[in-house]
Amino acid sequence: MTAVVSRDAAVVARGLSKSYGNRLAVDGIDFEVPPGICFGFLGPNGAGKTTMMKMIYGLATVGGGELLVLGMDAVRERRRIKSRIGVVPQETNLDNDLTVWENLILQAKYFGIGSEEASPRADELLRFALIRDRADDRIQALSGGMKRRLLIARSLINDPELIVLDEPTTGLDPQARLAVWRALERLRRRGVTLLLTTHYMEEAARLCDRLLIMDEGRIVTEGRPADLVREHAGREALELDLADDCDPQALLASLGERADGHELHDGALTLYAEDAEELLRSLDHDRFPTEAAIVRRATLEDVFLRLTGRSLRE
Amino acid sequence: MVFEPGFAGLGTKVQARDLVPSPRHAAAVWRRNALVFSKLWKGALLPTFLDPFFYLLALGFGLGTYIAHGINGIPYKEFVAPGLIASAAMWSAAFETTYNVYFRMNELRLYDNVLSTPVEPQDLVAGDIAWSATRATVYGIVVLIVVASVGLVSSPWAIAIPPFVLLGGLCFSVIGYTFTALIPKIDLYSYFFTLGITPMFLFSGIFFPFNQLPGWVEVVAWLTPLYHLVEITRGLATGPDGVQILIHTAWLAVVAAALFVIPVRALRAKLVP
Repeated sequence: MTAVVSRDAAVVARGLSKSYGNRLAVDGIDFEVPPGICFGFLGPNGAGKTTMMKMIYGLATVGGGELLVLGMDAVRERRRIKSRIGVVPQETNLDNDLTVWENLILQAKYFGIGSEEASPRADELLRFALIRDRADDRIQALSGGMKRRLLIARSLINDPELIVLDEPTTGLDPQARLAVWRALERLRRRGVTLLLTTHYMEEAARLCDRLLIMDEGRIVTEGRPADLVREHAGREALELDLADDCDPQALLASLGERADGHELHDGALTLYAEDAEELLRSLDHDRFPTEAAIVRRATLEDVFLRLTGRSLRE
Repeated sequence: MVFEPGFAGLGTKVQARDLVPSPRHAAAVWRRNALVFSKLWKGALLPTFLDPFFYLLALGFGLGTYIAHGINGIPYKEFVAPGLIASAAMWSAAFETTYNVYFRMNELRLYDNVLSTPVEPQDLVAGDIAWSATRATVYGIVVLIVVASVGLVSSPWAIAIPPFVLLGGLCFSVIGYTFTALIPKIDLYSYFFTLGITPMFLFSGIFFPFNQLPGWVEVVAWLTPLYHLVEITRGLATGPDGVQILIHTAWLAVVAAALFVIPVRALRAKLVP
């Protein structure tokens, strides 16, 4: 971690922790989000991502340590912080009793924005979210993708410097997800800092400039997506579906230094190497029979599974 | 149900800035509720017109004909009618701050959004309670119009009833909101209504006076907000006694103001853990 904190960092956490009763959700973490980038939090369910986000946008109190958002203290200056950030929550919490237009105008009221300013702003945001023709519709009439885009539009009503998005594309079809990605990319180009959590590795790889992987309330690793892949997975991966009579331990022992690492789970072996095809050719196929073999590039998914394990978290 | 630290955050230290609402932000919350009501009021208000009719028919014109001399020199119909203004306000505030708030908070999750804007819990509670009292006043005025139109109001002072209903509405709303902020499950509202609201409706002097009953009954009634609002509305509808009205008004104002911190702290503990 950097010892000297740059004053214009969007978010700075030092020894940040939070517990609910006896359960420690965030366990003393340090990180810094530089302004103007897209910063992603990855981690299995229960890793502490949502709690972290909630401390940043004021829906959970800071348990211990220090948290600065846009240079302001999250304990003492909650109202001021909230006036300058936008929030896209995990659950859709649009106001179902109101129209699309009324949802935006009321959101402006919560920020103390007057009507003369709110109307043109809402109009612009509906265009941004590609739902201008649905302004007078009730929320129930919108598709899942439209609701998501409206949530993003709503989070922009106060022209925020920082937007916090908790799983912004969960449950969306590929077209709707692409539309959300494009919207987020446009925002980043405007210089808005984006902070997001996601379970989709291709989303993290596409959108995020920096990633932080959490597990059990702690930081596992942090860095640029490409660097993380190179550092923790290597260049290529070889996926082997081992036959029943293949002894995985003997196979691994036979490889020696030729593989950079491996993941073994239920007879599925993933090996990481600079040249996976070369590794596949060099295997003793008579001694170690396999049902199938796939050579592919290493991805963030490999990094994630290697660092946080393959077992279910529920 | 475990709240840390202290039940509903009541054991924690709180600073004044976390209790004093910002009028502008509370007004935004009020506005949202008023906007939704403005779309539904036709359907919502019709039962409010019919309700006092049924009570007056059954009690005033039915039961009342057997109470030949009236009560304290007032014909029974006229005795009951002003109390129904107060009870309409109570029922309205009780439903608004229980079921309606519960749905906004726990089912629609609207408060998660509101609290991630500059609106803080004290603004949210203040706005919701102000709205609930406004709605209670609208319902009270509806009943006032009904009973006045059938000639059950004998004093011109009745015109001054609405602001007192607003105050009573604030008091009922603070109590209902406290309950909502503290309960973990919606099933518990049946206790609130069966053990709180219904007995208050029956035993706050709307249907019979306490003069003939043991002294402790009046003491118990004195502790309920509905009793004080009934005394005010009946006083104004039949010929007011200024001092009495002042005492009852002070009771409602003090209780509403004193209890306000409880739902604020409970809501903060629940939604901003």
